Amino acid sequence: MEMVDPVLGRYALVAIGLLVVAGFILLGMRLAGKNVASIWQTYRGWLIMAPLLLITLWAGRVPTILGLGLLSMLGFREFARATGLHRHWWYTVSVYIGIVSLCVLELMTDPRTGMAGWYGMFMATPVFMIALLVTVPVLRNKAEGQLQLVSLSIVGFIYMGWMFGHLAFLANSTNAYGYLLYLFFAVQLNDVAAFTFGKLFGRHKLRNNVSPNKTLEGSLGALAVSMCMPWLLHFSFPHFGLIELLLSGAIVGIGGQLGDLTISAIKRDLGVKDMGSLIPGHGGILDRLDSLIFTAPLFFHMVRWFHDLY
Amino acid sequence: MTSTENEAEDVREWQYEPAKDQNQSLTELLQGFPREPHLWMYALRTSAALIIRSWMKLYHRFEIRGKERLPIGKSFIMVANHQSHLDTLCLVSAIPLRNIHRAFPAAAADYFFKGLPSSAFSSIVVNGLPFKRQARGAESLVLCRELLRNKGNILIIFPEGTRTTDGSPGVFKPGIGLLCSGTDIPIIPCYLEGAYESLPKGAWFPKPSKLILHIGESRVYDDNDAGRETFQHIASDLEDAVFSLKPTLLK
Repeated sequence: MEMVDPVLGRYALVAIGLLVVAGFILLGMRLAGKNVASIWQTYRGWLIMAPLLLITLWAGRVPTILGLGLLSMLGFREFARATGLHRHWWYTVSVYIGIVSLCVLELMTDPRTGMAGWYGMFMATPVFMIALLVTVPVLRNKAEGQLQLVSLSIVGFIYMGWMFGHLAFLANSTNAYGYLLYLFFAVQLNDVAAFTFGKLFGRHKLRNNVSPNKTLEGSLGALAVSMCMPWLLHFSFPHFGLIELLLSGAIVGIGGQLGDLTISAIKRDLGVKDMGSLIPGHGGILDRLDSLIFTAPLFFHMVRWFHDLY
Repeated sequence: MTSTENEAEDVREWQYEPAKDQNQSLTELLQGFPREPHLWMYALRTSAALIIRSWMKLYHRFEIRGKERLPIGKSFIMVANHQSHLDTLCLVSAIPLRNIHRAFPAAAADYFFKGLPSSAFSSIVVNGLPFKRQARGAESLVLCRELLRNKGNILIIFPEGTRTTDGSPGVFKPGIGLLCSGTDIPIIPCYLEGAYESLPKGAWFPKPSKLILHIGESRVYDDNDAGRETFQHIASDLEDAVFSLKPTLLK
């Protein structure tokens, strides 16, 4: 048996290559006398996050699911602290229980089919969680202001827990490395492309009331890059045909940007700049994961429709 | 009337109140007050309380007399004599476990909230209220009043202001009067017996002597008006109440 999965190995090489090249570019910019302090901090964040991600994936299915579960909880914690939901532990604890349940379902074997991950129950968790959360006011015998708390908890669970949980469920697939690494890689590259194209050619505002710095040009440039990605990274899923490749590109190109904008809309409404401050140069966990949360379920169901997970 | 203009008024306006310690370092977060609720902090505090209570029971044969006099569920102040670092831990141990996150012993900010390790202990384990006893005593008293306005908060205060050096009782400072005169907040006088023998000021490890906490009848000073003399009067009244709980017969 090989020490490292060939797909994982290739991605590791690509990641190292990109980080080295980016490092040299930054160094060059610095020597040219440009102020790169903030980009430098972002870059340093990547130097820590990329190896952490690769090592967790390399360690296998269980560490990957647990690691993503932890990220999910940290993401929800950020959301709760930004909205003020964190002062109501009945709700936060309920959501944490929901996220732990998702992890258990991802790790379990389906009692009917014997396959890794209890698919049916995983897909049904929102039903049980919403039922639990709307019951909390009844259990506490409290009505005033509870609808806001219930609603925020439901959004928190569905978004940070369940939608993001699809990513962890993908770890059960026979092609887990290809799917997960493609998503991580393409989604982050989509972000970088939007930023770069926006800086270079940005003229027209995309959604000025949601995210004032995003431009139509950046968005289209990112979509173009993302549409090419599935072909460049075809080794991740050699069994994909034309339709799957097109959809993979569109899901990342459109879904990724929508994910970014949806979190921006939430932040705007809350009046905060970043969701947290956990990753220097990147803001909070949610600022980094926003696009993944949106793309993960879409990609998951696309894969399952065409090829099943196993 | 356009729909976008009145969207916010259609639904009753939601109130978002983000955590106030978002961009603080860990030390700042621990030194700040009031503290934001953190589940990890609650978990650690409950675990620590279980350990402390077992230690008190087994090592000090800790005994509480008059526990039923604590008006749990309401806001109240516990005042006690101050002989040792054990005092705070003993008083907190008298409060039911589920209420300890809302019990705040006033702790000198200049002593208990210096640097990361001591701030961590004082905020996570003790749940202390950083009391600025030198420069901004009045400001800290305002903070205490604010705290007591919410139902179910407990304030633990040692009105002597510092630990006794020789075991003899100190004089209660008038600040306690300023805090409770003209309010309907119940004050519970408490007397802790044996703490000086176990861990006097300067000692670093407690001797296994018996500790007994005597809890007295609650008092209210709602009809007192403000004034330096009134505060002094309340302080000495409470001082009498606390030291009268001391058993007169020596064993």
